[in-house]
Amino acid sequence: MAHASGVGARVRRKEDERLLRGRGRFVGDIALPGMKELAFVRSPVAHARIRGVDIPEEHRAAVFIWADLAMDGVKPIRAVSGLPGFKASEQPALADGKVRFVGEPVAVCIAATRAEAEDIAAQVFVDVEELPVNADMLEAVKPGAPRVHEHWSDNVFLETNVGGAIAEIAATAPVKVTRTIRTARQCMVPLEGKGVVAHWDRHVEQLVLTTATQMPHIVRAGLSECLGLDQGLIRVVAPDVGGGFGWKGLLQPEEVVAGWLARHLDHPVRWTEDRREHLVAAANCREHHYEITAYADERGRLLGLEADAWVDAGAYSVYPFSACLEAAQVGSILPGPYDFRHYRCRTFSVCTNKPPIVPYRGVARTGVCFAMEQMIDAVAEAVGREPWEVRLENLVPPDKMPFDNVTKKHFDSGDYPESVRRAVAAIELDGWRARQTRGEPDGRLIGVGVATYCEQSAHGTAVYYGWGIPMVPGHEQAQARITPDGGLELRVGVQSHGQSMETTFAQVAHEVLGIELARIKLVHGDTALTPYSTGTWGSRSMVMAGGAVATACRTLAERVLRIGAHLLQGRPEDARLVDGCVRVGQASIPIRDIAHTWYRAPQLLPPDVDRGGLETTCGYKPKSDHGTFSYATHAVAVAVDPELGSVEILDYVVVEDAGTMVNPMVVDGQIYGGVAQGIGTALYERMPYDDEGQPLASTFMDYLIPGFTEVPHVRILHMMTPSPYTEFGVKGIGEGGAIAPPAALCNAINDALRPLGARVTDSPMTPERIIAAIHDASTSAAASTAEATR
Amino acid sequence: MTHSKTITLTVNGKAVTAAVEPRTHLADFLRERQLLTGTHLGCEHGVCGACTILIDGEPARSCITLAVACDGHAVTTVEGLDGDPVAADLREAFSTEHGLQCGFCTPGMLVSARDVVLRRPTADDNQIRVEMSGNLCRCTGYVGIVNAIRRVLDARKTAAE
Ligand code: FES
Ligand code: FES
Repeated sequence: MAHASGVGARVRRKEDERLLRGRGRFVGDIALPGMKELAFVRSPVAHARIRGVDIPEEHRAAVFIWADLAMDGVKPIRAVSGLPGFKASEQPALADGKVRFVGEPVAVCIAATRAEAEDIAAQVFVDVEELPVNADMLEAVKPGAPRVHEHWSDNVFLETNVGGAIAEIAATAPVKVTRTIRTARQCMVPLEGKGVVAHWDRHVEQLVLTTATQMPHIVRAGLSECLGLDQGLIRVVAPDVGGGFGWKGLLQPEEVVAGWLARHLDHPVRWTEDRREHLVAAANCREHHYEITAYADERGRLLGLEADAWVDAGAYSVYPFSACLEAAQVGSILPGPYDFRHYRCRTFSVCTNKPPIVPYRGVARTGVCFAMEQMIDAVAEAVGREPWEVRLENLVPPDKMPFDNVTKKHFDSGDYPESVRRAVAAIELDGWRARQTRGEPDGRLIGVGVATYCEQSAHGTAVYYGWGIPMVPGHEQAQARITPDGGLELRVGVQSHGQSMETTFAQVAHEVLGIELARIKLVHGDTALTPYSTGTWGSRSMVMAGGAVATACRTLAERVLRIGAHLLQGRPEDARLVDGCVRVGQASIPIRDIAHTWYRAPQLLPPDVDRGGLETTCGYKPKSDHGTFSYATHAVAVAVDPELGSVEILDYVVVEDAGTMVNPMVVDGQIYGGVAQGIGTALYERMPYDDEGQPLASTFMDYLIPGFTEVPHVRILHMMTPSPYTEFGVKGIGEGGAIAPPAALCNAINDALRPLGARVTDSPMTPERIIAAIHDASTSAAASTAEATR
Repeated sequence: MTHSKTITLTVNGKAVTAAVEPRTHLADFLRERQLLTGTHLGCEHGVCGACTILIDGEPARSCITLAVACDGHAVTTVEGLDGDPVAADLREAFSTEHGLQCGFCTPGMLVSARDVVLRRPTADDNQIRVEMSGNLCRCTGYVGIVNAIRRVLDARKTAAE
């Protein structure tokens, strides 16, 4: 039976009170006695040899370069993938002899205030000899391109090949459509930048690094490798963290530098990333290029798919995910939620003179969905059917679930076609089609777009060991402890930075033990206080750590029942837990009294009581290690102004299946937020680079993220097919919202532009691009008319 | 080293006298010197609104306001809104409507939202969005925030009738 505040309840969040009163504690809010501030001197150029770093004499003691760290034995960051052919890069925390992207840290300056540290940084001169730059990944793979790492044979971290024979389909398929598709390089832009405070704790003899991270345990492992310190000598703490989205899921060079300085100087230091640093040095995600061909029959049934894909992975391989995760993932997930037999995909992780790539919410899926869903619409156009009908033709039907697709992805459950039918009904497609035929009085063009995806989330060991990267998730751990006064403490190694885990994990525990939410305390984000975890990424926390919390609570429930039955003079097999009390027949005893007995009146315990007491750490893995598959269909109606190129979103519907929802309010929030980011990807966000690899946006005035007036009131409809493999049937949902918007919006814009013969294929779909597409279409139409009349 | 200037201002109802460098912006002054860390910095370019505070009761961006310019003025931060009845209603509504996730934008959102509630009592959802468009949030997709403000406006309307 579901409890009023257990799994499935829309309860308010425990974390809200402090945040609403400005009493949260973010890294930037922490000041330690004697703390000094850091400012980094960063590379002004994308590729150069460093001839020297000129430090004014009076600031010698306040400026450090790589040689200082190296002398102390500090090692470069290495994130190697075990996939065959992977080329390893070494990233020193401060540049060593060469800089490979604009914004790469070269030196660090230390002073009493940030302003003074920046004053010093402004006087440090990096003397460079500029080298030819790889600013574009397609140029970088050409023979003769300058090498980012000169000892490599080319600029490719890794090439992968998935699938095989497709020539026969290619030769015989009645329908063949080909597209070139591109997505832009983006910044993740959590509203709180990165930040770190480091100090050496003399009493416990530990380096304490308080940092805005999604993965404290992984940062500790990485720091240990770079600093040459035992992990036991390092404690990593994540306080309140102001959003992550992937940007806080890595070991950062700045963390290594801060950690080294704190120990070397033996006093506390703090670095706070400012927005300019973030936009310049951390434009690190989403840049894909596809050459893709779909083969189909006359009804639009897919016969095969073939693609070459390039991902701009930047200059270095990032710890722990490596430089190849994203491109290699393209190869394995490009087929999307569809059922077809023939597939070939070749991918390249390209090394360029740009910031190193980090997985952003949705990782490769946003690009993959953008490409694949354009292809479905292209096939639909070729066969003259509605795009949603062609989706129905190809989606894995519910009676085939669970289903192993062409790349051996194991789809766990759900009704993919139904999500399309519901989305098409909810957006009221017929009404928009009628309006399209009538035409708009203001001359704007109406378009409707649909996009469907499924998302592997909460990937387990089976998925990750194959990558051979520094991190492979195993059994996720949670610790549960009933306190002497009958409350509950939970400890998890994942980290909550907006996901509401303080509330939702309490709901899970409440569901099992019946202890009231107000008396359940979640401890997270501290390597000293929590069990090891790879952290919060990949929409995994509720599935994995939530499952571990449930497992630990069930173990405690078992013990509580035994003690309770003994105290009630009943048999354990007759005892039940109801609303936080053990009941045997009509007799009942609250957990509070059982806790009191264990801690303060042990003489009353049964002689064979479990010696583990009211505290346990349990590990958890879902029954299938291949991840859960949530899925959704997004449908959007737009009005495109053919004169201005502007796009107005008139309605936006999401039909999604996250399995069982622990807190529907929180699930909705994740989707709303994800969609807003997806709209940014679709219409606004791009870090432009010039030919010299200079980033051309450095403030929120030129890097646009969507605001109140750009994001519509999205409508969400839920389907709830419990996963057969997880606790309560939950599926990972954190990233999903951000995956489909670029695809749905692209299809909608192209639906609107169709009467003009124009088409956009690249994100973001800015007014300039839309106008250019219309212009190109009218020029080529004019040219062919001239041709015909000649 | 620049020369400090001594200023006297009211911060959350208390008189404060301090020597500040002319280049120090109000947010740094509040956060680093007054230890009022509820005022957050999301851009320091005057765009994101996370640093929004009240100067003499009017919303302002503390990242592009110099502390020295506040000599003789009254500054209110999110910490100073603990007892404010409109802010109290908004806090309740933000929580009910899930108007915050990581909470980093939240102090600035509350200050701006309070201003909207007081200044635009009849605003519809669209007007709420336009009025709030100087504040950015990367987590919520704005729906919960609009709903929260809507909830407070509706409740005040009902109470007034
Ligand atoms: S920090 Fe002031 S507007 Fe962004
Ligand atoms: S709640 Fe995270 S930025 Fe708004």
